[in-house]
Amino acid sequence: MGALCIFVGCGYLGFKVGDQYRQRTEILRYLQNGFNLLETEISYSSTPLPLALTRIAEKMRGLSQIPFAHAAKLLKHNQGLTAAEAWEEGVSCLALEFPLSREEISILVLFGHGLGCSAREEQMKNIVLAREQLRMAERAAEEARMKNQRMWQYMGLCTGGIIVLVLI
Amino acid sequence: MTRLIIQKAKQSTPAIASKVDKNPTKTDSWLQALPPNLRELTQHSMGPLLLDLEEIRLRIGRPILFRIGLHELTASITGGPTSQLEEGYIVTRQDLERTLQVLSQSSLYAWEEELRHGFITIPGGHRVGITGRGVLDKGQIRTLKDISGLNFRIGREITGCSEHVLPYLIKDGQVLHSLIISAPQCGKTTLLRDLIRQLSNGIAALGLRGVNVGLVDERSEIAGMYLGQPQYDLGLRTDILDACPKAEGMFMLIRSMSPRIIATDEIGRHEDVAAINHALQAGVTVLSTVHGNSYEELKQRPVLNELLNWKIFDRLIFLSRRKGPGTLEAVLDGKTLERVR
Repeated sequence: MGALCIFVGCGYLGFKVGDQYRQRTEILRYLQNGFNLLETEISYSSTPLPLALTRIAEKMRGLSQIPFAHAAKLLKHNQGLTAAEAWEEGVSCLALEFPLSREEISILVLFGHGLGCSAREEQMKNIVLAREQLRMAERAAEEARMKNQRMWQYMGLCTGGIIVLVLI
Repeated sequence: MTRLIIQKAKQSTPAIASKVDKNPTKTDSWLQALPPNLRELTQHSMGPLLLDLEEIRLRIGRPILFRIGLHELTASITGGPTSQLEEGYIVTRQDLERTLQVLSQSSLYAWEEELRHGFITIPGGHRVGITGRGVLDKGQIRTLKDISGLNFRIGREITGCSEHVLPYLIKDGQVLHSLIISAPQCGKTTLLRDLIRQLSNGIAALGLRGVNVGLVDERSEIAGMYLGQPQYDLGLRTDILDACPKAEGMFMLIRSMSPRIIATDEIGRHEDVAAINHALQAGVTVLSTVHGNSYEELKQRPVLNELLNWKIFDRLIFLSRRKGPGTLEAVLDGKTLERVR
């Protein structure tokens, strides 16, 4: 019974770490989708940021909606925060839920610095730049996933098996 | 000292101040457009005068200025109002940038059209004038950048302020073509706003049933439209064309909404006169305002001279600030120039 628990536990840990690679790719892809929606909200209907972010958060799934939802909430409550500050808070909340890399956080925070404080044309440029950077980050995350996801899954199961064999 | 300043400032507030809408929630609406540090400074220093404020001016590197009537005050660094402007809190670039972000809801792109015209309307119908560096596109201002100054103009709704004027504007159950004339800051727009409200709702005492009023609010000042909603009460039967050029707007309203009355603010261009003429042909009554101190001064301006020579307006209403904003100086018959009040 103990051996089974160790085997399942190690296997679970391996799958969990491996799954993070999948999740990272997914979050980065969904964030790009969010930026696409933001581009539409700004360029076609000039929707004010609090409303635009709320609408986007409602359309998004999983962890990637956190920065949009959190920033929208802060801006709506009009606590005197700028969009950059509200967005950075949102990114911090996402980083608490998922271990984003320093580079990914930097892309998102830098995007926030240009958010809402310029004309439509500049906003578009800011979104396109951030989306391009996220696409590159997604590509790197996808490569890492291909390389490491399986490895971690097997490593978890193998480690569990070895521990069980050593204990027996 | 502070008490003296407050007394002086209060003496200069409108003669009709008792009717001013001093709804704290409306005060709240413009205070919310200030960043926390300036909001706190304003609340702390202007405390009892908050409801009487008419303007707040923020200019980079210069003291914050509050205007009440003809008095200018600043917030001293130690707290409390002072008329010694050099003792005032100096506005920084960060203050200005943050204010702009807060009042635009961090969505400057959504206010491009307003920035082009140099002002933003905020909830409550208040207007914030903006100065900075113009960005040109084909010789036209595309937007403003490097913002250097903001002017919060706090709008006041004075419900019922047109009651003493209305009897002169209605004859045999018909509203007369009327022009309100005064220098800036004398209450033209406030009077026009209340006239629209009353005429739109109907005035039982004067035997007038409510009529459809079309308002062309080129500068978003009369209705204070914010996200499609007027921030002032303009009556039950008022249709509003917001941020639309006056002349074009008048043509549009006549074509599409069949108003009985068309109201607009600050006429003075050739095309405005043509549009007023069109309104007359369509049997629509015109209510409007114009900047000017006297009839003679208006006659010196070619466009207005032409308009007055046609004797289109039945009533000319003159306002001043003699006893506070909205002081009714005279009502003239526009055709005979006889004084009816």
